[in-house]
Amino acid sequence: MRHPKQPSAVPAMGRTLSRRSFLGVTASATAALSFGTFIRSGLGAAKVNVLTWSNTLNAMDDVLREQAAQYSKEKGVEVSFEFINQTDLPTKTAAAVESGAGPDIITLWSDGPHLHDKALVDVGDVAEPLGRELKGWTNIAKDIAVVGKTWKGVPWGIIPIAITYRSDWCKEVGYSKFPDTYDEMLVLSKKLNDKGHPVGFALGRAIGDGNQSHYPMLWAFGGAECTKDGKKVAINSPGTAKAVDYRRELHKVGESDDVFSWDDSSNNRAFLAEAISVTGNAASIYWAEKKNAPQLREVTDHALWPKGPAGRFGYSTAMSLGVFKFSKVQKESKAFIRWLMEPKQYSAWIGRGEGQIAGLLNYYEDDPVWKTDPKLEIIREIPKYVRMPGYPGPPTRHAAEAMVKYVIVNMFARGCKGTSTPETIKAAEGELQEIYSKA
Amino acid sequence: MPPSTGPGASGGSSYAHRLVRPEALTGYFLISPAVFLMTVLLAYPFVLAVWISLTNRVLGEPGRFVGLENFLKLLQDPLFRQTVWNSFVYTISTVFLKMLLGIILALLLNQEMPCRNLVRGALLLPWIVPTSLSVLTWLWMFDSLFSVVNYLLLGVGIISRKIPWLGDPFWAMVSVVIVNTWRGLPFFAISFLAGLMTIPKELYEAAETDGARGMRQFWSITLPLLQPVIAVVVLFSTIWTFADFQIVYILTHGGPINATQIFATMAYDVALVAGRIGEGSAISLFLFPALLVVIVLMLRYLRRE
Repeated sequence: MRHPKQPSAVPAMGRTLSRRSFLGVTASATAALSFGTFIRSGLGAAKVNVLTWSNTLNAMDDVLREQAAQYSKEKGVEVSFEFINQTDLPTKTAAAVESGAGPDIITLWSDGPHLHDKALVDVGDVAEPLGRELKGWTNIAKDIAVVGKTWKGVPWGIIPIAITYRSDWCKEVGYSKFPDTYDEMLVLSKKLNDKGHPVGFALGRAIGDGNQSHYPMLWAFGGAECTKDGKKVAINSPGTAKAVDYRRELHKVGESDDVFSWDDSSNNRAFLAEAISVTGNAASIYWAEKKNAPQLREVTDHALWPKGPAGRFGYSTAMSLGVFKFSKVQKESKAFIRWLMEPKQYSAWIGRGEGQIAGLLNYYEDDPVWKTDPKLEIIREIPKYVRMPGYPGPPTRHAAEAMVKYVIVNMFARGCKGTSTPETIKAAEGELQEIYSKA
Repeated sequence: MPPSTGPGASGGSSYAHRLVRPEALTGYFLISPAVFLMTVLLAYPFVLAVWISLTNRVLGEPGRFVGLENFLKLLQDPLFRQTVWNSFVYTISTVFLKMLLGIILALLLNQEMPCRNLVRGALLLPWIVPTSLSVLTWLWMFDSLFSVVNYLLLGVGIISRKIPWLGDPFWAMVSVVIVNTWRGLPFFAISFLAGLMTIPKELYEAAETDGARGMRQFWSITLPLLQPVIAVVVLFSTIWTFADFQIVYILTHGGPINATQIFATMAYDVALVAGRIGEGSAISLFLFPALLVVIVLMLRYLRRE
């Protein structure tokens, strides 16, 4: 049964908006807003989105924000940076590649250009002019960013990993300078440990510090994970055996067992807590001391990675800037990258980093940042010795997979835990063969 | 609408008729949003994951169909074999501990005590707090340098040297088991408590009259009547624990030396970091057939009960 219509509780004069009017107003407002956006986009107000990592040195991110605002004002192209956790970058990159949507410019770690080359545009028209104008690219820059013959990323910088050590403790045991060879470092480590100041090189799941400490050690003793053509596993060699024996001895006489549980921040905390005397790290420890422990800064110094029988090597994380193929503003993205790499902008950025990041163009080897503090000068030498996983072969997907699976770090860790040298090398060989057998 | 009884009417026709009655159509309409969401958020990703696991796809490339090649290759991978072992050890030990401690806790909470409801509510905290936050706290508690657990144990003299919670393969597995047990215990305890509260008190009174006390009552009354709850809870927890990611990823990231690597963390490294999503999908789905059989058997058992 239908009820008679109830009189409205609101007087007729108080009812200002009927349903029809409300729908009309909403639709008009939506259309107007959409039209405005359409017109705005039609007028060519391009927007470039950059996804990068959140630097532990926040000041460097502030520089990028300022530069983005400056570029937007000068060139009429809106640039915005999004900063995320370093460990989230691979996941976000994977999501962007698979979905075909995301930022226009992406920061690629290490061999990122090789892993994602099919999703990236050729940026040779940015990289090559920069090389010509700024004294050329370093070898490592081409290793990471050139896939085949194509530039798939513009090398943005490298975080040089140096030996960071307590100069006062080293002086106490008779070393005014850090040793230049691994053998001498072993002697020093024992003396330091006997005084209650062990060394510490991460043997846990530290994707940066763990790999960056142990790949150079492997190479310095003549070991390698694969052949020069990058196709065959070559880990089972006398050089590798020497490296494993050395690492075991170093752990036995100079280190505590804490290192097996370390992630990338652990050695920083251990050094700042004065629990260790020597480690491999970027200049971030030195920078953190400025704010949190200025008295330690006086007695902290840097050195090159030691030499082994096969030479001196290093492994540091390099970054490139890539432009995705799905980007609708590829031209504007490349123009922004080009601008960012020019001396005025780039120098301002690495200057604020106080040695945390070095340029991969030879021009920036003489950047004023290296003159600000004598303790930073040695860091600029490090990129010369840097090689990529897979060395002496090229940086391939297989080498990248071996690195993220910690094959080399685990090989050394097993050796330090008591597994015999042949056994631990055999285990690593099995893992590498499984990886390298894939297409 | 009257049932069709005229010429040509058949059982199938009346069934079809039932399907298109206004009430039926209303029902379909009402459940359609849920069906749509389940299809988009569950069914489609699952089918896509199965398809990808049968290809050699890498990030950014479509890949080609390779059948069961990914699964067969995994069986030859020493790291994967270790991952399978770790996953079973992790799951069986945590589910067993949660079940045992959950029953004990439920029996305790079923007793009269002051502030009982407050205690029951507080018990849920580990379950409610976001996993990543609570696990970060445990990470600090197990830290090699600053472990408060070692500090306390050393202080009271239970240990004479610090335990390498996250640095030794054995202790790393113990650590992840402890954290998973701590986190999952409330779910078990509250579920068992709910089960206990449905057991008629008359049964215990009758048993008491017959001279059965304590453990006899537990084995003869409590445990049998709690079995369906135990079965459901253990089933859910087994599935969730096999698929666990956050606890191991944050605490150990599968280390040291792959000692705590489980399916989800290995799938993450292989698929998202190394870019081999075909292989990563195969790792994630490896246990699916076995778990499906377990679920079917368990549900049959429950139906029987």
